Amino acid sequence: MIRTWPRAIAVLGILLALAAGCGKRSENNPAAKGKNIRVEGSDTMVNLAQAWAEKYHKAHPDVSVQVLGGGTGVGIASLIDGNCDMANTSRSMKETEIKRAKANRGADPKEIIVGFDALAIYVHKDNPLDSITIEQLAEIYGEGGKTTKWGDLGVKDPKWAGQPITRVSRQSSSGTYTYFREVILGPGRDYKLGSIDQSGSKDVVALVSKTPSAIGYSGMGYHTDAVKTLKVTKKTGEPAVEPTVETARDKSYPITRPLQIYVIGEPAGTLQEYLAWILSPKGQKVVLDLGYVPIKPHE
Amino acid sequence: MNKAVDNQALLSSLAVAKSNPFAPTPLEERKRIKEAIAKWLLAIITLMLVLPVIAILGYLVFKAWPILGPSFLLENPQDNMTAGGIWAPLVGTFFLVVISLLIAAPIGVLAGVYLNEYAGDNWATRVVNLAVMNLAGVPSIVHALFGVGAFVLFAGMGRSLLAASCTLAVMTLPVIITSTREALSSVPMSFREACWNMGATRWQTIRTIVLPNSISGILTGVILQVSRAAGETAPILFTGAVFFRDVPEHGWEAFFPYGLHDRVMALSYHLFTLVTQVRGVSDEIQYGTAVVLIGLVLFVNALSIALRSYLRSRKKW
Repeated sequence: MIRTWPRAIAVLGILLALAAGCGKRSENNPAAKGKNIRVEGSDTMVNLAQAWAEKYHKAHPDVSVQVLGGGTGVGIASLIDGNCDMANTSRSMKETEIKRAKANRGADPKEIIVGFDALAIYVHKDNPLDSITIEQLAEIYGEGGKTTKWGDLGVKDPKWAGQPITRVSRQSSSGTYTYFREVILGPGRDYKLGSIDQSGSKDVVALVSKTPSAIGYSGMGYHTDAVKTLKVTKKTGEPAVEPTVETARDKSYPITRPLQIYVIGEPAGTLQEYLAWILSPKGQKVVLDLGYVPIKPHE
Repeated sequence: MNKAVDNQALLSSLAVAKSNPFAPTPLEERKRIKEAIAKWLLAIITLMLVLPVIAILGYLVFKAWPILGPSFLLENPQDNMTAGGIWAPLVGTFFLVVISLLIAAPIGVLAGVYLNEYAGDNWATRVVNLAVMNLAGVPSIVHALFGVGAFVLFAGMGRSLLAASCTLAVMTLPVIITSTREALSSVPMSFREACWNMGATRWQTIRTIVLPNSISGILTGVILQVSRAAGETAPILFTGAVFFRDVPEHGWEAFFPYGLHDRVMALSYHLFTLVTQVRGVSDEIQYGTAVVLIGLVLFVNALSIALRSYLRSRKKW
């Protein structure tokens, strides 16, 4: 019985030595210190941030990018507290947040737009409709909306006018689903029941391309030749705008929001290199691959 | 005359005997049926406790079957986390658990020893006991917020492996203290008295008699905390877990990918993000991660049971 006691001490000793070795390593290894970039923020952008981190690490194995979601608010709070180096946000920082950041970190937060999130409205390629207004979309998708047939949207062609509209939507955990509800349906209004909900941006476009009576929303990056993109008008009478990289960038296309990154002060060193890479064609290709709008035309 | 009466009585009693004096009365019959019902009902309810475990495990393994294999364990997440394995979160969970135990086990065991062997029954001890009990009842999300305040912000650790481990350590501490005390108090008082009577001090008695005889109980309590620390998501959520970070996959570095001040991926949080945030991840990967997490917990629990029964079998009283 007494023999077990020294053994237990030996085991504990080995574990302590392991931990000490591990701790020591982090101090000696330059890769573990200084070359870390801590990213926090928007859940909408967390997949994008992750894809950047993965791709960047392949090209620069000495830099480790640590990505955390949690929401725009979390990212901004962490940036103010000094718990992260860059915050992904899907809204601009408020005046009070900027003041607190300056007081806490000693420099103004700097906003960098790294891409746009533009939602295109897709219909089947044979559909005669060319443009749609935000109110019409709300009447199609929103709870209590009265638009159910293509004829209600002004389609005269007798072959189409009587056809019911097949609504294609997203699953409720999707950020696109939430964004579309906020911008199109307005605060507090829910979706009409009976839509076909797809679990991916790509799936929406695929279904619309096979269903002549369908309408769906998805990132403009998912456009294919089998579908038609509708021009969108803010209000009846205003010009209809086609979602393109340019109209998304100058915000004339109404269903667009910028994807932003905030840093404190002028970025330097590893952080500056990383941000430059994000804005470079390689980083922007990741933006396009994930269905967002890159900031500059690059083809 | 008398004899005739006796014979009569004997005959009648024989007649009763023929109709079986041990036949159950209606009351006994009812009792027997109720007994049977009670026995089977309790047995079925007990079996139903096992069903969810089997159902959960079976379902998870069935769903995850195509992906389970060594490469799933040894590869990092790839292609925007929709392919590859779970090496980075697996190692992260390992380090979180080991470091939190390195902090909590010595403190917990030593405090338990003091409380059981030295402390008298006074108000100070009672306050400590009350504190330990309340600490055990604190919800893990509250531990998480405490961790953010105390370790991440106040102690300046930032969101890191160290801060997350410290938070887990605070969470596991009360159970380690309690199980240590129970293990110590199961050592018969006569052992201590015999030792004291040989002229040994309290410390000598603890070192040579009490601890060696209670080590099985103490180790069981400590190991059970491993599975709790590995499975918890809330305490690491704000204190050190990340959605993604790259770690080396090959060589010596792969086994020590995280420094104490780094943020880590952890299995439980990884599972959460796979299900809620990562786009286009296959079901197999999600279920596979769940299988590994639950397998880890069950493995550690089994280990602790095996160790306890082994050490118990060597007990000599």
